[in-house]
Amino acid sequence: MRNERMRNDMSTPHITEDDLVLRYYGELEAAGEHEAAAHLSRCDECHRAYTRLQRVMAAVDSLPAPALPEGFERTVWARLEPALPGRPGWLSWLALSPGNLAWIGTILVLVAGAFFAGRMTQPAPAGRASQLASAEQIREGVLLVDLAEHLDRSQTMLVEVVSGEIDDGTLDVTAERAEELVAANRLYRQAAGQTGDVAVSQLLDELERLLVELAAAPELVATADANQAQQRIAAKDLLFKVRVVASAVRERQKARTQARSGSGQSS
Amino acid sequence: MPQSDAAAVALARDGDSEAFRALVERHSRAVYRLAYRMTGSATDAEDVVQETFLKAYRQLPRFESRANFGTWLHRIAVNCSIDLIRARPHREASHGDDLEQFGAAVESTDATGTSPERLMLSVEVQRRIGDAMTGLSRMERAAFMLRHFEGRSIDEISQSLGLKTNATKHSIFRAVRKMRTALEPFVADA
Repeated sequence: MRNERMRNDMSTPHITEDDLVLRYYGELEAAGEHEAAAHLSRCDECHRAYTRLQRVMAAVDSLPAPALPEGFERTVWARLEPALPGRPGWLSWLALSPGNLAWIGTILVLVAGAFFAGRMTQPAPAGRASQLASAEQIREGVLLVDLAEHLDRSQTMLVEVVSGEIDDGTLDVTAERAEELVAANRLYRQAAGQTGDVAVSQLLDELERLLVELAAAPELVATADANQAQQRIAAKDLLFKVRVVASAVRERQKARTQARSGSGQSS
Repeated sequence: MPQSDAAAVALARDGDSEAFRALVERHSRAVYRLAYRMTGSATDAEDVVQETFLKAYRQLPRFESRANFGTWLHRIAVNCSIDLIRARPHREASHGDDLEQFGAAVESTDATGTSPERLMLSVEVQRRIGDAMTGLSRMERAAFMLRHFEGRSIDEISQSLGLKTNATKHSIFRAVRKMRTALEPFVADA
C-alpha cells in the first residue's frame, strides 16, 4: 500500500507488498517493472520480502488436486447422458405406466428370443464350414451361459437394492461386486450392440448405469436420502426387465440343448 | 473407443454417443479439478462438470476441428465456474469440503523417499493452504485461481468476473495476503 511505503537509506521507496504481488504475476507496467528490478537488486529488505512471497507462492503451487473416487468418469456419464439433448434418459422409464412396462417386457422377450433363436437355428453347413459353424455355435453357447449367469448375478444385486438389504457394513463389498458386474455388463452390451440386438443392448445399457452408480456410490442406496427412493424404483423396474430377458435366455439355452441332442441322434 | 479427441469429436458430431462418452471419460477429471479449484465446493464442482459437458455437447457443431478439444473444454469449464460463482456470490464457503478433499489428496500422496519430518511439514503446509482457501470469499478465490493457476491477466479476470480492475486486484491481493499469513511461518526458512 502506497501510504505505508517506507524509505530506505538510499531515499528510494520500498516496493509495496501489493506491487511485489503484481511483479510476481508479471502485471507491472514496463516502467514499474524496470524500477522494481533495479530496486530489488540493491535493497536487501525488499529482496527478502520478494523471496518470501516466491516461497509462499511455490507452496501454493503444491496444492494437491482434489481426490476423486474410482469410477468418477462413469458416474459423470451416468448423470450426464439422460440430460443430453435428443437422448431418452433412463429415468424416463419411470414415467411409463405398468401397462407400457408389460408391453416393453413382451417386446424384449420377442426380440431377445428372436436374437438368440435365430443364431441357434441356422442350418449347419457341410465339411470344414460345418466345423467352423460348430465352433461359432460353441462360442455362442458359452456366451449364452455367461449372459444368463450375469443376468442372475445382476438380479441378485437388484433384489438387494430393492429390498433395502445394503447397509453401511456391506458398502465395500457391494461396490466391488457392482464394479465386477459393470465390467462384464459392458462386454455383453457391446456384443449385443455388434449383433444389432437393440433391445438387449438397451436393457444392458440401462443396467450398466445403475451398476455404475452402485459401484461409485453405494451409500446413495444405503442412506435414507432422496436418491434412495429413486434408486430403488429404478432398480425395481430394471429387475422386472432383467428377469424377463434372463428367462428368455434360459429358454433359449434349453431349446439349444434339445436341438443339439436331436441333431446328435439323427447323425 | 476413438483413439484421438479429434476422431471422437467427429463421431460425436454425427450423434455417436459412445464417442462423446469417451470424451467425457477422458476429460471429466480435469474439468472437475478446475471447477473445484474455482468454486471450492465439491457439489458446485459437480454441477460445473455437468453444465460444461452439456454446453460442449450443444456447441459441438461450432467447434473448430483444428482446435484442441481439451483447451476448448477448459474454456467452457472456466466460464461455467464463473457463471456459477456470479449466480451464487454469497454462498457460504464449504469449509469441510476443502479440508476433506485436500486431506484425502495428501493422504494419497506417495511418500516414498520422503523423511517423516518433511512429510509432516508437507501435510501441515497442505492443511494450511486448505484452511487459507476456505477463508477466501468466492470472488477472491475465483480471481486468485484464475490469476495463479490459470494464468489469466487481471484485465481478463476483471472482464470475466464483471469487476473493475481495481476490485480484481484487491481480491487477488487479499487472497495472497491470506496465503502469506497462513504459510510464511512454514516456508520462511525452507
